[in-house]
Amino acid sequence: MEFSLQTPDSEGHRHDRLKDAVNTVNSIVMGKEQQVKLAFSCLLARGHLLIEDLPGVGKTTLAHALAAVIGVRYQRIQFTSDMLPADILGVSIYNRDRETFEFHPGPIFSQLVLADEINRATPKSQSALLEAMAEGQVTIEGETHPLPKPFFVIATQNPLDLGGTFPLPDSQLDRFLLSISLGFPEPEIERELLTARDRALVLRDTQAIISPDDVMQLNRDCQKVHVSDALLDYVQALLAGTRNSRWFETGLSPRAGIAMLHCSKAYAFLEGRDFAIPEDVKTIFPSLARHRMSVPHGMETSVNEQISNLLNQVAVP
Amino acid sequence: MLNRLSVLWTVTALVISMLPQLASMPFHLVPITLLPIVWRLMAEFRQWKPIPMILRVLATALAVGALVTTYGGLMGRRAAVSMLVLMLSLKLLETFRIRDARIVVSLSLFLCATQFLFSQGIPMIIYIIACLLSSLISFMYLQRCEAFSVLDEEPESDRKLLTELGFGASLMALALPIGITLFLLFPRWGSPLWGLPEDALDARSGLSDSMTPGSIQNLFMDDSPAFRAKFEGGVPRNSDLYWRGPVFWNFDGSTWEVSYLSRNLLADNKPDPEKAPFRYDVQMEPTEQRWLFALDYPALTPRRTKMTVDYQLIASRPVTRLLSYTMASDPGFQDSPVLRQTLLRAALALPEGFNPRTAAMMADWRKEAGSDSEIIRRALQHFNQQQFHYTLNPPLLSQHTVDEFLFDTKEGFCEHYASAFTVMMRMAGIPARVVTGYQGGFYNPIGSYLLVRQSDAHAWSEVWVRGSGWTRIDPTAAVAPERVQQGAVDSLEQRRYLLDFEWLRNARNTFDLFQRGWNNWVITFGADRQSRLFSIFGWEYLGPAKLVIAMIAILLITGAVIFLVAPMLLKFRSSRKPDPLLRLWGKFIKKLEKAGFVSHPSMGAMELAANAGGQLKYESDAIFRIAELYTLCRYSRDMGNEAELTELINCFEIRSAPGS
Repeated sequence: MEFSLQTPDSEGHRHDRLKDAVNTVNSIVMGKEQQVKLAFSCLLARGHLLIEDLPGVGKTTLAHALAAVIGVRYQRIQFTSDMLPADILGVSIYNRDRETFEFHPGPIFSQLVLADEINRATPKSQSALLEAMAEGQVTIEGETHPLPKPFFVIATQNPLDLGGTFPLPDSQLDRFLLSISLGFPEPEIERELLTARDRALVLRDTQAIISPDDVMQLNRDCQKVHVSDALLDYVQALLAGTRNSRWFETGLSPRAGIAMLHCSKAYAFLEGRDFAIPEDVKTIFPSLARHRMSVPHGMETSVNEQISNLLNQVAVP
Repeated sequence: MLNRLSVLWTVTALVISMLPQLASMPFHLVPITLLPIVWRLMAEFRQWKPIPMILRVLATALAVGALVTTYGGLMGRRAAVSMLVLMLSLKLLETFRIRDARIVVSLSLFLCATQFLFSQGIPMIIYIIACLLSSLISFMYLQRCEAFSVLDEEPESDRKLLTELGFGASLMALALPIGITLFLLFPRWGSPLWGLPEDALDARSGLSDSMTPGSIQNLFMDDSPAFRAKFEGGVPRNSDLYWRGPVFWNFDGSTWEVSYLSRNLLADNKPDPEKAPFRYDVQMEPTEQRWLFALDYPALTPRRTKMTVDYQLIASRPVTRLLSYTMASDPGFQDSPVLRQTLLRAALALPEGFNPRTAAMMADWRKEAGSDSEIIRRALQHFNQQQFHYTLNPPLLSQHTVDEFLFDTKEGFCEHYASAFTVMMRMAGIPARVVTGYQGGFYNPIGSYLLVRQSDAHAWSEVWVRGSGWTRIDPTAAVAPERVQQGAVDSLEQRRYLLDFEWLRNARNTFDLFQRGWNNWVITFGADRQSRLFSIFGWEYLGPAKLVIAMIAILLITGAVIFLVAPMLLKFRSSRKPDPLLRLWGKFIKKLEKAGFVSHPSMGAMELAANAGGQLKYESDAIFRIAELYTLCRYSRDMGNEAELTELINCFEIRSAPGS
């Protein structure tokens, strides 16, 4: 489907660069076009991303690639069970020369944070990160330090049935806009991966394509994407559907509904449209709903199945 | 964070609401008040940082010091309001967040309400509306600023001022029914919490405790009500409608004054209220004076009021708010058949060396006349037959006021006649005094009450005649009988003002109508009137509890109308409008289903096109085109062409078999 973006030139250029960035990430993380698109729309909607998958399928590579093409300051925090909040946020240390406490910002003070294996840390350290994500600022010893802008967190999480994990509570999972899983690559892609250059080397050579300022501007562009009444009806119908106990234990909150709208707009923008259509909502919906909901007790189905059932049930207006 | 537009509007709202204070506060406080405002504006344009806390505390302390030295304390409404103005302006020093700006705007609203402590005239309404509008617009900008701060964005600022004003006005219009309900029904205190503003009553102080030529004249231009009287039974004849007010005994050659004696001696003989033919309720507007008005001769003494020996009703405190009392009057009552020596002397006293011509004439008359009543009759005839003119614009009189009036100018109104007549009587040795009050009144047939206006003010004489006591003589009636018949102003055909044009008079009358309505319904709408608000429905008196119930009931009904009925109406209207686009799309799907394609309502248009296009290969191009166009029509911002879609769907036909 070809829709032209009827936009001023500068916006058009920005959009072209965005396309370039998506293609570059695709060339690094091979064979995951859909997930890359979702990751980008999550960033464009100013949300944080949760990647749930086994170790070694390319979660870190995806985060690296995103950081590289956007040209933002990037920090990786490896979560461990003995980690303390100060390891993430930073700490005030006494400076004997100047006789004052000086704040040494932790790794969270960067524009893109990769929180690796977030569910291996204790709840205390998890919540230190999640608070920063929600507020966009960090408060240490009564002093508030704003985080840089834009601020994105990409967290990875190992499957919950793996040993040594502390599952994130629902309220904190809600802080993530989308959750995606990468999965094993297709056979031919895997073969290519085995023979191609080392991903780390490719990443090192990657140049920034869009700037952090561009990202802020793109956020704004996304907000301008038109949402018709009919589409709002659809979003509402989906929300109402999740609240029916036939499907899920608890439904989506209004905040999740707003997130859904933002994300759909961003996805439509990525697709080159200046209006959102039900297909956008349908595409992002599983990623948006999966980590926020659970199946009622005693049901045999998985959350993913329930979500696709729901999508097939709700009529498109 | 605040954006520039909301800062500017916050400052504007504040400045507008402090304007009258700025104009009336001591001059040296004005720069202190303006300085923080100027600083805040500079800070906005030069990106200055907020000043440290310690400096702000210091500035506050200095400002309070300046106030205390100016007013000698912080009590009293001027000082308190100045304090509010100054603190609000200092608040700007730390107004860098939306929350602070909200406080400033809210307090500006409060500040503009304090204006009512100083003035309650009609211009205030216009001013208050300006304050409300600017504050509402500021609130709107702040709200928008806050809403967009989540997105880290600047709100659009290309909206026209007119749009904002319109929005503010519509908000005010929405709030109007609730405001009116609260105003009418929120229970009031029986007595006001504070005094009425200085100028609320200035214009209608009415009769005063002395009479110089011209003092009543001012009242003729004032059509505001003095009091209203509702009679049991019919209204008396006009010639009986002499409303007694201040009685004057002492004359110094130009000014008549009340006498100490008559003010403090109580009436020892009162008419019998049971036999009084006139019974009525008086509702008196505030005068800031102590006189109550009654027809001759009052038989009842209202609470906290005394009846003096010359039958003035004097309240113990000035009347500062609407006052109601019941009164009975007996016009046939005989006032003082016997006159005490002291009073007799007071009723004959005249200043030495004034009005020699009159004195000579009266000496002649005295010689010629056989009795007192003959002299009285002759004096009235004199006024009637000589060329005396009743006019509201008499020439000025100098030292010998009575001489000049009687022999030279011969022009004047009730004051001149009453004064001259009384002086003549005293010169002839007949005890006499001047009575001021109101004469007549305008009968309001709708409310069936008598409205007595300030312009009905009048002055007449009383002479004491042996055997019949004090007798009312109205010399004005001898010159201009129509004055008593029609009222002072209407009896004159002449111009009342220098610039007296038809349209100007009409405009003046219209404004006066507003003014009276404003006075009636807003300023003097107190506890008493409130309790009788529903008397036309048969509830004579509503206590505070009932008022609260009525208020809540009306508010609930208003709320129900706004919150329940209006959305229902809107929904009803929108549900009646069928969506032609959906019908068209349904038609298209039916055509596809005829060809064996299974569609599902959960499919989006493009999804459906992808599925159907796969099954119906020959039509796939057309299907995609229709789906694209439908998507554009339905979801984009006016990019689709519905007419084209209608044609495409109507022309769409399936020729191939599914799956082929």
